[in-house]
Amino acid sequence: MRSTIVLLAGFAITVAAPAVALQQADVRAELITRGAPQGFADRVATIVAAAGEAGLPTAPLSSKALEGWAKRGRVPPERVLVVLGDLANRLEAGRDITVEAGLDPPPGSVVAAAAEALGRGMTAEDVAAILDAAPTRDVAATGLTVAASLAAQGLDRAAAVRAVREASGEGRPPEEVLEFPSAVANLLAQGVPMADVARRILEGGGLPLPSTPGVGGGRPSTVPATKGLPPGRGRRPINP
Amino acid sequence: MNRGSGFSEDTHAYFDGDRPDAAERDRHAADQFAQATAAFVQGEAVPGREVDRAVMAVIRAERRQSAWRWFIQPQVFRLRPVLAAAAIFVAAVGISMFGGGSAADPDGAGNALTTVLVRFELRAPGASAVALAGSFNSWDDEAVPLVRGSAEDLWTVTVPLTPGEHQYLFVIDGEEWIPDPHAHAQVDDGFGQRNSVIIVAPRGVVRS
Repeated sequence: MRSTIVLLAGFAITVAAPAVALQQADVRAELITRGAPQGFADRVATIVAAAGEAGLPTAPLSSKALEGWAKRGRVPPERVLVVLGDLANRLEAGRDITVEAGLDPPPGSVVAAAAEALGRGMTAEDVAAILDAAPTRDVAATGLTVAASLAAQGLDRAAAVRAVREASGEGRPPEEVLEFPSAVANLLAQGVPMADVARRILEGGGLPLPSTPGVGGGRPSTVPATKGLPPGRGRRPINP
Repeated sequence: MNRGSGFSEDTHAYFDGDRPDAAERDRHAADQFAQATAAFVQGEAVPGREVDRAVMAVIRAERRQSAWRWFIQPQVFRLRPVLAAAAIFVAAVGISMFGGGSAADPDGAGNALTTVLVRFELRAPGASAVALAGSFNSWDDEAVPLVRGSAEDLWTVTVPLTPGEHQYLFVIDGEEWIPDPHAHAQVDDGFGQRNSVIIVAPRGVVRS
């Protein structure tokens, strides 16, 4: 029985301790499996391990490393390492902003979303503003992701931040906020000028009217949308 | 427990030479053993307890000094299956709790509770093969091939994605990486190129 307890304890220690090492080993092994040179894989693993030891989420780094290697025909390995270093710096900045916003310990999902938002040109103040308005960490992570996406879609950065903040303030759940980019895409596809898209988002506080689950990116409304975002374009639903 | 002599198994092992370096490690205990033996021979003492204590002192000292050997030498365990199952459960919980990003949440963006079927389409005249590579499949350019549709140049695939943001590209003939013209957005990939972005909502996102 004593041996059993010792074995169980050793097993638990072995499993629980090295989350970081697990990630490190995963990305290194995956890179080598895909034909990457061992030296390159080792350097990637070192960057990932350092980030993990600093308390940063490592999944974004692993994903970016695999992306860089997948695009190796046009991206030299040295460039991949530089990009990983930049991403690690943004993760660190995102973590600091998250902690300053009162989320301590900082959730990995929020830190990753903050880093992605910073990488798309959003400022630390933008990120902090979204975090301040978010009542939960899920809303915070989703808000950052959606705001960054809206900005990437061409929406004015301040308008994107304001739309997400107002949605948070109104208590909209993350699953509704995630529909903003689809709705904006539908408006743009219909030829609505970006200025009008921004206006309708802000007037409508993000998405417009209560409605039934629908198709396309947004949710079709039973009332013509005079402001806010429009319904979807009526595509065939796959998973309504 | 013993062999009828009053000595423990460990003492017998010591006598049998199974622990040849014990006396070297504890000369004091060996001296005690010698004195006790001499006393017995001279009829001054009853053997057993003193000798046993002396030998066991050596053995315990040896055990303390060589505890680390337990970790590097082969060991035989008797393990109850139910406890083995419990250990595996603990391992699974540990991995899920401490494993950081997972396959279900490769972007570390949360929202890994459900999946939504998302349809991707690309018109690629002249292509002999089209695949989908993105953050949801670790950028494996062979894992998700598209199927040629009824229209000769239309390629499609439907994949389950978790709610949240995903970046991706189409790979034509295993060489050319191109963005999706119908994506929600195109963003800098950090490598001087552009990735397509889709934001998946839990309630019926459909791509075309």
